[in-house]
Formats: sequence, structure tokens, C-alpha cells
Amino acid sequence: MMCETGDAEEGGRHGHRGPEDEQAQFSALLEDSAEDLYEHAPCGYLSTLLDGRIAKVNVTLLDWLGYGRDDLVGRKHFSDLLTVGGRLYHETHYAPLLMMQGEVSGIALELKAADGSRLPVLVTSTVKTGSDGQPLLIRTTLFDARERRAYETELLRARKDADLERDRLKRLNATLQRTLLPPTLASVPGLDVTAYYHIASVDEVGGDFYDLFPLVDGTWGLFLGDVCGKGAAAAALTSLARYTLRAAAVYDPDPATVLANLNTVLNHEYNGNDPRFCTVVFGLLTPDTDRDGFRVTLASGGHPPALLMRADGTADYLPTPGGQLIGVLPDAHIATTTVHLAPGDTLLLHTDGLTEAHTVSGDEDRYGDDALLDFCRTLAPTNASDTTDAVRGLLDTFGTGVEDDTAVLAVHVPRPTRQKEQ
Amino acid sequence: MTERLTLLTRTTTAGAVIELTGGLDHHTAPEVRAALAGLDLRPGQQLVLDLAGITFCDSTGITVLIAARNHALAADATIALAAVPERVDRIFRIVGLEQVFSTHPTAQAAETAWRPPAT
Repeated sequence: MMCETGDAEEGGRHGHRGPEDEQAQFSALLEDSAEDLYEHAPCGYLSTLLDGRIAKVNVTLLDWLGYGRDDLVGRKHFSDLLTVGGRLYHETHYAPLLMMQGEVSGIALELKAADGSRLPVLVTSTVKTGSDGQPLLIRTTLFDARERRAYETELLRARKDADLERDRLKRLNATLQRTLLPPTLASVPGLDVTAYYHIASVDEVGGDFYDLFPLVDGTWGLFLGDVCGKGAAAAALTSLARYTLRAAAVYDPDPATVLANLNTVLNHEYNGNDPRFCTVVFGLLTPDTDRDGFRVTLASGGHPPALLMRADGTADYLPTPGGQLIGVLPDAHIATTTVHLAPGDTLLLHTDGLTEAHTVSGDEDRYGDDALLDFCRTLAPTNASDTTDAVRGLLDTFGTGVEDDTAVLAVHVPRPTRQKEQ
Repeated sequence: MTERLTLLTRTTTAGAVIELTGGLDHHTAPEVRAALAGLDLRPGQQLVLDLAGITFCDSTGITVLIAARNHALAADATIALAAVPERVDRIFRIVGLEQVFSTHPTAQAAETAWRPPAT
């Protein structure tokens, strides 16, 4: 297209032709016809009286709509060309705004063509006033917005697809999370066991895990742990840790040996540049033949200590000092402790999503070990389901302050007679 | 939680010092791993991670510190942490890493404590 200015002309590129020639050439091209420009402009033109009655319309718009000039001029109002929704919008917003401001610009409306088809347009109107400032008529331009509408529809569709994908991912994550946990905990004769898993984010799989399973001679193995990181990599590590613990316990159920074997496996799998670790408590429950209840030996690999809520209403941590995280140190130290679980006692294992939770969302303060101990002291004496219910309630009060997944596992030895305190 | 992390590496006679400022989590961990890979550590030297500017550190952040330790050990060098934030210190005590890293109040103190290997 020729659109060079006279200045560029004098720059010498077309110096062989005079400015007059150029002018003539332009005139010939443009035909100098305002009438033709009006009628065949690349947009629709419409002039109406103040009441909206159509006074003038160009050929472009007539062609778009499939009307003859006589069908519209003097017969129809601008709003007659609109869809029902568009007409409503015109009456309630467009026309009042136009009267108030003298101009309305770039409004998306739909026109109804003679054959009933719809044409999306962008409408701009101005009010033409007389020399005395009185409004005389309304001039309207309409731009074909079919391309734009198609683009918007495409955007909407893409967004809908993205929403569907997001929902699908959430379901996938939830499924993956469930596969990392036992569907239901095994029922242990003489024990009451419950667990609760709190998912902090539906978008990313967390890495907490637990299980309870039978070993030989009436003994039971249990574990609860937390792998570093989130997402698919954490899920893979969780899987490896879970199955290794189960297998190692069958091979040799001594809790410190089970964790030492897990340490070896993880250390071989992940090392060097991209080390990964987990913290875990492994417990071995043995029915106590001398007295009622169970003997429980706990081994800790860098995991927050278990809590024991006793039948007499006291509660304390069961510290396992010196235990080290599992998977990154070739010779991780594993600390063990052994306690007797008497009837009425409740053992609580937890991951640090609970103690590291912000008590007030966004605040720096974290719940902490002391607060959890106080909480358990008010709970004791209690049972397994009341304990997990109470922790669940506690986590609910933190809301979004719980940044990380949290798992709790409660093991309770019921009293032989039904004289539980309420 | 996503906070930006900036790394500043300088070299002293004792060895490299990496100053970490910002959040150390699974979004920023790859930057530190990349920096570790490009580090020139000689046997007997000491790699210092200055954590004074760390505002956030999650479990993935901890793996980065372990990766740094692995890197130092692989080069027959040692590692020291300077200005360990309270939260990182607490995680260290829970997971038993306080026995694994030597720590100093400042990077300067870490450098002063370093002794060249006997020749």
C-alpha cells in the first residue's frame, strides 16, 4: 500500500516524479467520493432519530443483514435489529448512557439478520447536536466482531478444558494419595487403632504415610513417616519406603534393624546431587504375657517423638534422642525406646505438619511441641478414635495455617471392663 | 510458599562461601544444586553456606544442604553452615542433622575456625 508522506518523497526515493503527479494519482485511486466511502466502508453506518428510528443506513450494513434499504429506513428502530438480550441491554444501558454522555463506544452486541442468523458486532454511537447544542440524531458505526467472537469462544473453550484438566489432576492426586495409605487399618485383637490423614493441598501429593500390619506370633508392626518434598517424586519415595518397611519387617522385625535396612535401600537409590530422605517411626507391638496390654518398641529415624497418654490422665513424649533421618547418611543413627501400653493407655504418632502448622494463617507462630503436649494432657485419658477426632478438630481450627500434609495414628489398649471415663 | 532466592558465591583462602538469601524450597533448590555443580573445591578446603538471609526452608531445602555436604565430601573438603536460622536449627535437631553439620554464628567465624590441612 502506498502511504508515504510528502516528506519521504523529498528524501529522493521517487525524485523523478513531481508532487503534483503524486496528488493526481491519489485522487484517481480514492475517486474522491465521500458517498462511495460511506456506502461501502468496511464497517456498518447507521443514523437514527433520537427515538431510534432508522433514518440512514449504508450498503455494507444492509448487505450484512440481508435487508433492502426500504425495509429499514423509516420503518424500523435500531433496537429492532438486535437480539432480545441485546434489545434489553440497549433499552436499559446503551440508550440512557448515550443520552447522558453523548457517546458510547465499543459495546459488543448481536444483530439479527433478515434470515434470522446472528452477527456479533462492536457498536459505537455519537449524538449529533445542532448549533444550539440540541441533540438532533444518533450516528452509529458497527464493526464485524465475528472473528473476535470466535476468538473469545476459543478462549472460553480453552479455559473450560484447562478447568477439566485441573479437576482431573486433582482426582488423580487424590487417587495417588489414597494408594499411598492403607485403605483401612487392620483390626488388631485387644487394640483399638485409628488414623487420620489431612491433605494440605489438592494440587500436590504430600509425602506422609503410615501402616499397621501383622507379623509372626501375635506381634504387629506399625509405622508412620514423612518423606521430603511434594509431588510425584515424593510419591515415588513414599511407595519405596512403605514397601521396603513391610518387607524388611518380615525379614527381621527388630525396629532398629527395619529402619537401618530402609536407610540402606534409600541411600543406594538416592544420593549425590539429589539426595532424598524420610523421617519415620517404626513400632513393634507385642502382647505382654506377664501383664495386660502390649509392649511397644519404637525406633525413630529423625522423626518427631511419639506421645503416650496414660490411663491415669498423664501424658508425655517418648523421646528417642539422637535418631537421624533415613536415606542420606550411610550409617544413620537410629534411636529406640520401649514402653508398656497398659489398658486405658493411648499412643499417638504424628507428622510435623501438625506441630509446624501456623496457629493463625500467615502468622509466624507455629503450633509447636509444647502446645501439642498440653493438648494431649487435656485429652488423657482417652481412646484412639477420640484422639484422632480431636486432632482433626484441632487441624480444622488452623484452616490454611496447615501448610503440610499431616498424618496421625492412635493406638489404644481398651480397658477390660466397660468403665471408660467420659 | 514461593520466595525468590539469590545466591552470592565468593572465594576465600578457606574455600568457597555461598550466601543464600530468600526462600530455600523445591522451587529454588535447583538453582543451588546448579551452583554446587560449578563450584571449585580443593581437598582440605571448607565450603561455607551462609544462611543469614534465609527466610524460609522446607524439607526440600534441607536436601539441598545435604547435597552441598555430599559435594564437599566428594571433593575431600568439609562443609560448615553459618548463621543457621532458628527454624532450620529446629528441623536439624528433630532429624538429627545437628551432629552432621558444623555450625558457626557467622561466615567470618567459620573462616576463622578453618585450619589448612597438614602438609
